[in-house]
Amino acid sequence: MKRFWPAFFIFSVFVTGGYWSAHSEVRPTYYFYNTETNINNFATLKMGFDIYLVNHGGYLLQPFDLRENFEKVIHEKKGDVYLLSSWHLKELQQKKVPLEIALVGTSKGNTTQRKVLSAKKDIVNVAMLKNTVVAAAGSEEYVHSILKQILGKGQEALLKDIKILIVPKDIDAVMAVGFGMATAAISAESGLDKLAMMSPNQFKELHSLGFSEKDYLLIAATLKKPDQQETQLLEVLRKMSETDAGVANLKMLGIDGWRAVQ
Amino acid sequence: MKIINFCKALILLVAFFGSAGFAQSNKVLIVNSEKAVYRYETIATEFKKVLQQNAYQWAEFNLDGHANAEAELKQLIEQENPALIYCIGTQAYSLVHNVAPNKKMLFSAAINWRRLDVGAGTYGVANELSSAQELSLLRYFFPTIKTIGLLYNDSFSREYVETIKKDALASGINIINKPINDTQEISGALNELLPKIDIFWIISDPVVLSNKESVRQIFQAAQQQKKPVYAYSDVYIEQGAVLSISADIATIGRQSAGLAMMAEQDKVPGGTVQSPAGSMVTLNKCALDALKLKFNQDALDSVNKIVGCDQ
Repeated sequence: MKRFWPAFFIFSVFVTGGYWSAHSEVRPTYYFYNTETNINNFATLKMGFDIYLVNHGGYLLQPFDLRENFEKVIHEKKGDVYLLSSWHLKELQQKKVPLEIALVGTSKGNTTQRKVLSAKKDIVNVAMLKNTVVAAAGSEEYVHSILKQILGKGQEALLKDIKILIVPKDIDAVMAVGFGMATAAISAESGLDKLAMMSPNQFKELHSLGFSEKDYLLIAATLKKPDQQETQLLEVLRKMSETDAGVANLKMLGIDGWRAVQ
Repeated sequence: MKIINFCKALILLVAFFGSAGFAQSNKVLIVNSEKAVYRYETIATEFKKVLQQNAYQWAEFNLDGHANAEAELKQLIEQENPALIYCIGTQAYSLVHNVAPNKKMLFSAAINWRRLDVGAGTYGVANELSSAQELSLLRYFFPTIKTIGLLYNDSFSREYVETIKKDALASGINIINKPINDTQEISGALNELLPKIDIFWIISDPVVLSNKESVRQIFQAAQQQKKPVYAYSDVYIEQGAVLSISADIATIGRQSAGLAMMAEQDKVPGGTVQSPAGSMVTLNKCALDALKLKFNQDALDSVNKIVGCDQ
């Protein structure tokens, strides 16, 4: 009899755990991966979203730290709604992945942003970045692509002579210039606004050497025209900005709301 | 015709030996104080990733895997003749400094690097963010904070506290600091300090943090007087610190690799020691809510970890 209860306990845990994990797999899910940050606050993000979503459809958020795994889920058509960067979406669309934009993230009323290459004022042009370090947040592929875009065809050859230092977030990149760990930084324009708030003197020392094209902030996409379930998922996302708890979760993603694309 | 062929062969030979020579000269030796330490191993892994992307060669030597590390390391250095030796941890640096004092060296994860003998051929990435970085970030997360208080021991932390005061002045923040000689003075010092400040800053001072009781006293007093505590490490989050900001270890590895390549090519001045470029921010939302502290909501996308009341 003594052996029965521990065995029963293990059995119960196994069965219920198996049931819940199997159950959780079929719950509609938001799949998230962002090429523009290395912050990796996934546990926090997942917990924040899942708590919010308990009372808003019971959906789940599944963040990814590896691009391959996120794309695997898309290829397996497991997802219902995918949250990703505009750059990543375009990359996938070029590979004929039929993702379509459903919602775009907003921040202070804007749906788009530019990336800016900034340096101290003694660096008067991009040619002076040869053999220097440029700090940026995001995946290496993304940063390389944005830098190439900013440099333009005329200065593209410089790419091989620039060392890119990948840092966790925009504010680290812009601060790295001020504190001498990098000669220049690539950040969103909002990254410079943050620096102005944190360290006005450092901000005054910087100037812009170039800009990327304007691009959407975070995107919510689906693999096809949204069906009923996907429409519900998107509606929950869209309404997140109506509550404090929802906004707090969105702020972790660097946005404060969602807007439908016309 | 023969002369042309001879010239072609000569060019090929020069190219072959030239490239072989270059490959030899840009080899890096990584000396790790203890492979089993997660922090050290993460730094080493990121360092190697960047070297690989830039076609650099490397060899590795882990101090904990050798009975006679000094002699074996010496032999390896003679054998490999690396252009630069990357030392992870203070133990690795001290040993390499003794065994090969004339080699170019780069260190990271060294505790209190200012106490190391850093010569012209030495480069490094510090273990801690500079106080100016911490203050800038603190101001970003808590824009309303004007006065910060801290306790320290004059023998250990005087220079650091002077730097903090200088950096704070430049940021428009007022620092009220109180020196203590031993932990018996903590309680009295806190009673005097806490009513005058907006937030208490725990710095890495070995006297102030010499035992668990002194740490408990700090948090108890801060809680009684409803003052938030900011700490240099996330180990204090569990005890009630509202925010911690420390260096991101993966970035230290990548940054060290960049610095190693620049140093190897003599593109940075000898003796350069950089502050870490990446930060790791932990926010204790439970403590934040309890204190009703005003936090910059737009900064949430810069927080690496948020801890709630049930964690």
